[in-house]
Amino acid sequence: MKIVVCVKQVPDTEAEKRLLPDTLTVDRESSNPVLNEMDEFAIEEALKLTEAHGGEVVVLTMGPDGADAAVRKALSMGAHSGILLSDPALAGSDAVATSYAIAQALGTTEYDLVILGSEASDARTSLVPAMLAERLGLPQLTFASKVEIDGTSITVNRLTDYGHDVVQAQLPAVVSVVEKINEPRYPSFKGIMAAKKKPVAALDVAAAGIDAALVGQAAAATTVVDAAQRPPRSAGVKVTDEGDGGVKLAEFLSAQKFI
Amino acid sequence: MSFVEPEERVALRQAVRDLAKRYGPDYVRRQAKAGLKSTELWDEVGRAGYLGVSLPEEHGGGGGGIADLAAVGEELARAGCPLLLIVVSPAICGTIISRFGTEAQKQKWLPGIADGSFKMAFGITEPDAGSNSHNITTTVRRDGDEWVLTGQKVFISGVDESDAVLVVARTKDAATGNLKPALMVVPTDAPGFTKTMIEMEIAGPEKQFQLFFDDVRLPADALIGDEDAGLLQLFAGLNPERIMAAAFAVGTAKYALDRAAEYAKTRTVWRDRPIGTHQGVAHPLAQAAIHVELAKVMTQKAAWLYDSGDDFGAGEAANMAKFAAADAAVEAVDQAIQTHGGNGLATEYGLAPLLAATRVTRIAPVSREMILNFIAQHTLGLPKSY
Ligand SMILES: Cc1cc2nc3c(=O)[nH]c(=O)nc-3n(C[C@H](O)[C@H](O)[C@H](O)COP(=O)(O)OP(=O)(O)OC[C@H]3O[C@@H](n4cnc5c(N)ncnc54)[C@H](O)[C@@H]3O)c2cc1C
Ligand SMILES: Cc1cc2nc3c(=O)[nH]c(=O)nc-3n(C[C@H](O)[C@H](O)[C@H](O)COP(=O)(O)OP(=O)(O)OC[C@H]3O[C@@H](n4cnc5c(N)ncnc54)[C@H](O)[C@@H]3O)c2cc1C
Repeated sequence: MKIVVCVKQVPDTEAEKRLLPDTLTVDRESSNPVLNEMDEFAIEEALKLTEAHGGEVVVLTMGPDGADAAVRKALSMGAHSGILLSDPALAGSDAVATSYAIAQALGTTEYDLVILGSEASDARTSLVPAMLAERLGLPQLTFASKVEIDGTSITVNRLTDYGHDVVQAQLPAVVSVVEKINEPRYPSFKGIMAAKKKPVAALDVAAAGIDAALVGQAAAATTVVDAAQRPPRSAGVKVTDEGDGGVKLAEFLSAQKFI
Repeated sequence: MSFVEPEERVALRQAVRDLAKRYGPDYVRRQAKAGLKSTELWDEVGRAGYLGVSLPEEHGGGGGGIADLAAVGEELARAGCPLLLIVVSPAICGTIISRFGTEAQKQKWLPGIADGSFKMAFGITEPDAGSNSHNITTTVRRDGDEWVLTGQKVFISGVDESDAVLVVARTKDAATGNLKPALMVVPTDAPGFTKTMIEMEIAGPEKQFQLFFDDVRLPADALIGDEDAGLLQLFAGLNPERIMAAAFAVGTAKYALDRAAEYAKTRTVWRDRPIGTHQGVAHPLAQAAIHVELAKVMTQKAAWLYDSGDDFGAGEAANMAKFAAADAAVEAVDQAIQTHGGNGLATEYGLAPLLAATRVTRIAPVSREMILNFIAQHTLGLPKSY
């Protein structure tokens, strides 16, 4: 079984994020780029599936040149090879374009299953997995908290507000996973040492068969018109309990229309 | 030697940081307070292969060097959850066994030391042989196929959580009657082996013990390496120990400076300016940061020399690194506490225990005076005073 895991490099989740004033895109220089945390769960699930059923894991990312660090991290966790889709023409792509570019890049390889995180921690649209499935014409099994494969059939628990649905499809399929699904392994020292020697294929727009007019900031269907710094948190209200703390709390909550 | 670490070591540091982040100082404090050990952290670090980075691949290790292990030790300390026994089990015992053990001994002990499932403490210090380790009197004699060990040790770390102790003893030379050092693996459950915990004002989960060996019988394979090469073997293990102690001090110092910088950026005392704007607060922290970085570079040099096979060159560098790192750590912790004002001694901020933890690095594994003696004699060629 061959599984492709799509991963995104994002600015460090713990760092204060800034936007570039002229393009209103994320200032990627201002913080450490890291592998999107949710994608570690996708990698872990792929590794577990191939450990159980045999096969290999290919990790695919679209991003700037430095995004190969995200690929290396995935390789050090145990993925077998990587694909780095990088081209100046792709800069500023929105979710629509990203899903198109990834779909085209996937056309350069064979696979039985594509696994994604269910959300990237920077833009957080959660759109890419569904859009990608649509573009590939494959079943989408999103927000999976459990994945099982039996022959050519795949079954997932799809997380919902009320619990989960059980969703079944035939391979090949597109899955996005939630954090509940597993506990990602840490790259072992041997894995880190081995990662450097694993093959990473570099693709540009031409090699992936991407129409440059359909990607990049110019082609984006949405534009960021304005951005403002989130106002600093205000001090809040301190309720001193003089025996009537409960009443005061209830008054506060009802004044704010919480109750 | 490059001043930029290889990609793999940078990735290793990041991986250790990511793991350690889930534990941090709260975990260590909680465990220590409950009389427990850092077991979960140790096991997880071991499972990921980080304890065994410097041990040979064919015996379950990662095939890297002491520089890699030092990076692991430093990052754990920097995250506020150091593992003291990393200095001992993989760095001293693992190194000595992998360099001088027989193939059978390597197979017996190294895989467990590498993955953390087997812990080995290290005992050289005796009540009358601390700085003067030539004075040790614990002796081992042959009895048929076996060895018999008699004597005592003091200040031995982590014996209660270890499976064995690598004990530095002496054998009697049959011909001359002179005593030669011999390294013996002593299981902690061997009959005749007893331990007493020493009450210490160090808050960590790892405890120190006084050990008594009352005719402890050991199998033939308890002797590591050559009966005649004991001293040489010993020094091969002590350089990694110093490098690891330096890495621990650097990591702890960085942890303290991180806390101090965070506090100095947010604590305001006069109008709306954080105290970090006062140079009286900022400059001592900056100076400590310089000293810590210098110590770190020296630690990296020592590790590099050691990994390149230069035992003698590594000796000088490892001593200098440990000296510099201990002083830098004491300075950094002192200044971090000063920066916090009263909070520096409040339990909530967790800084006060670092006073003892870093102060130790000026005494153990070798005191700063003995390092100065070594440098005076070997680097400057001055006469020996003792
Ligand atoms: C500040 C800011 C400004 C932006 N500006 C614009 C703009 O001007 N115009 C515009 O149209 N869009 C803009 N975007 C959106 C941005 O381009 C999207 O982030 C991107 O298209 C992917 O969507 P997402 O990150 O929400 O992914 P999600 O759908 O949340 O990600 C889900 C999963 O998809 C996979 N995935 C996502 N991206 C990749 C990738 N690059 N490579 C491989 N796998 C991937 C990962 O597995 C991930 O876990 C902006 C975003 C931000 C944060
Ligand atoms: C927390 C902790 C953990 C330890 N863990 C271990 C362990 O796991 N295994 C182990 O074997 N040991 C361990 N030790 C022991 C440690 O290595 C010794 O404490 C150290 O080597 C100093 O020896 P000492 O305590 O006997 O001091 P002493 O040798 O009594 O020295 C006392 C003072 O005199 C100074 N001094 C001595 N000789 C000279 C001289 N010639 N010139 C100038 N000054 C001199 C010393 O520098 C020191 O300041 C540990 C100690 C501590 C505190």
